[in-house]
Amino acid sequence: MTPSLRMRPPRNQADPRAVAWWTVQALLLAVPLVIAASLAYWLLTDRPVWLGAIVIAFGLACLGFVVLAPRAYYRVERWEVTGEAVYTRTGWLTQTWRVAPMSRIQTVDTVRGPVQRLFGLAGVTVTTASAAGPVKIEALDRELAAELAEHLTLITQNTPGDAT
Amino acid sequence: MTLGTEEAAAREETDWLAPHPRVVAAAAVFSLGVAVPAVVALARFLLGRDVAVGLVVAAGAGATVLIAAAGAAYETARLRTTRYRLTGQRLELRSGIWTKEHRAVPRERVRSVDVTADPVRRALGLAVVKVGTGEHASGERAELTLDALAVAEAEALRRVLLAERPAEQAEGPLAELRWSWIRYAPLTVWTVVGGGLVLGGLYKLLGTLGFEPSESEAVARAWEWFTATPWLTVPILLLANVLVGLVGAIALYAESWGKYRLEREPATLRIRRGLLTTRSLTLEERRLRGVAVTEPLLLRLGGGARVTAVATGLKKAEENQTEDVAALTPPLPAGEARRIASGVLREEFDPAGLRGHPRAARGRRVRRALLTVVTLAAGLGVLASRTSWVPGWVWALPVLAVPAGWALAADAYRSLGHGLTRRHLLTRSGTARRRTVALDRAGIVGWTISQSVFQRRAGLLNVSATTAAGAGRYDVLDVGQDDGLLLASRAVPGLLEPFVEEFVE
Repeated sequence: MTPSLRMRPPRNQADPRAVAWWTVQALLLAVPLVIAASLAYWLLTDRPVWLGAIVIAFGLACLGFVVLAPRAYYRVERWEVTGEAVYTRTGWLTQTWRVAPMSRIQTVDTVRGPVQRLFGLAGVTVTTASAAGPVKIEALDRELAAELAEHLTLITQNTPGDAT
Repeated sequence: MTLGTEEAAAREETDWLAPHPRVVAAAAVFSLGVAVPAVVALARFLLGRDVAVGLVVAAGAGATVLIAAAGAAYETARLRTTRYRLTGQRLELRSGIWTKEHRAVPRERVRSVDVTADPVRRALGLAVVKVGTGEHASGERAELTLDALAVAEAEALRRVLLAERPAEQAEGPLAELRWSWIRYAPLTVWTVVGGGLVLGGLYKLLGTLGFEPSESEAVARAWEWFTATPWLTVPILLLANVLVGLVGAIALYAESWGKYRLEREPATLRIRRGLLTTRSLTLEERRLRGVAVTEPLLLRLGGGARVTAVATGLKKAEENQTEDVAALTPPLPAGEARRIASGVLREEFDPAGLRGHPRAARGRRVRRALLTVVTLAAGLGVLASRTSWVPGWVWALPVLAVPAGWALAADAYRSLGHGLTRRHLLTRSGTARRRTVALDRAGIVGWTISQSVFQRRAGLLNVSATTAAGAGRYDVLDVGQDDGLLLASRAVPGLLEPFVEEFVE
């Protein structure tokens, strides 16, 4: 039986600058790894050819990761805020859709990491009373993130109840 | 400065009250627990130096008195610095001998009141009151402990904090202990490993007291005899282990669940239990978000189950606590568990009506089990090719693991199920520890839908309802894509619906 229902993608994509931000993050992870691998190969071994090939292959894999992963993320990361709920989609191999209703939102935070700031980006984290993890919108334009956070805070303040 | 205003406020409202003075006596008794090993160690030390027996006895008695006095003195200081009061809005507690602390819990936030009395406190007519507020966000110290009040006082406080009404209501208890249930007590892994644990504990205790069993000659001779006739001693040892585990499990069951009684008071659930240490947990019904019926494999094979509460503001069991604070029942017959769950929910709890999941979910489980076996076998192969310490019979393990893994996978598949009742979302999964959860649909504070590449190909997905209570999220695993999305859409109308679309390939 083929399914006939699915989650529709949220309306909005991340800010295009997110690709650059994620690339920098990937570089911060990959460059030290590749340097360490090369140094270890050069200094600690007798430099056999087969090991050299493996190190080169590893370097190429890292390069591929740095080039492709941010673009792949950009394609899958989506978000949407309606009058009733915050809705996000994340993940590449395992896709995850999260929905948090406005009436159950407890806190709204904006998050700005050091690298994120360089690109004028910010994230919005929305938590509910559940201990199972917040809903995060990762890469938004700084102004937009601030506006969104304010909008969400205003709505949740006007909703009665303790949101549990 | 702030103290002045506080004192002014205090004069207007109820007085600050102290814990019951008999806590000093309780502390003196408890300090004997420290005194006994100390005295034994001291006696061994002195006897080893040829000190006269009379002197040793005197020294032991002196040490005991000293330790008990120190315990009592400390407790007196604590008693003098601990004060609590109940105002219209708050329960306040001031404590701390060196570091002063002032904590206040708004009365509207109080979600559970736990009244406990161990044998010593019980003999002295005392009870410890723990007031839970269940703030998830603020973290660790969401609990206020009053150690200890007179039993009547504790009872009154409990009533005032929760329903503000005396317990009358002739509704009858939801459940009461039947001693025939004790047959489920041994159905835990602890029965099998318990004997070993007890022996280990004993050995360690002897060690701290200064005895070295491995150096004694009797032990050496026993070991010799043991290794000489393994065909006799190994079964004896295993039997003894099971016997000790059996006795231990039954004793533990009797101690923690003796006098068990679950009853509904106006707007609250109340669990009373304990043979020696009496415990009483009161849970506001508006904090209840459902129940979970848990069947660990051994218990399930014996036809038993346990019921736990899914509630906000119930603290996770502390590390040294062996029991689940959310437990509503002891291990008991599965039918009885269903009946009690229905009573607590005020709605029929019927796992037989659950809808199964697509066959593809079975394939996933079987593949995962076989993959685990293959990985272990491969690891074993590497070990065998590199070293010489893998005996031939070890290869029987992966061969046996294949049917076992298969059976577990098939059982895990049979466990999968979900359903929707008027007020609850039902989900069941697990094989080693099968759990059926009924979650209040009104308590669902969001959804998380996830789908891996493999699940996408098989047309399956995981649906998790997030909630403020219990584990924070409850999963419907490997449900058919349409089934799962419909289930979530119907469970909370209007929440997921706008984000689900129909499509044609």
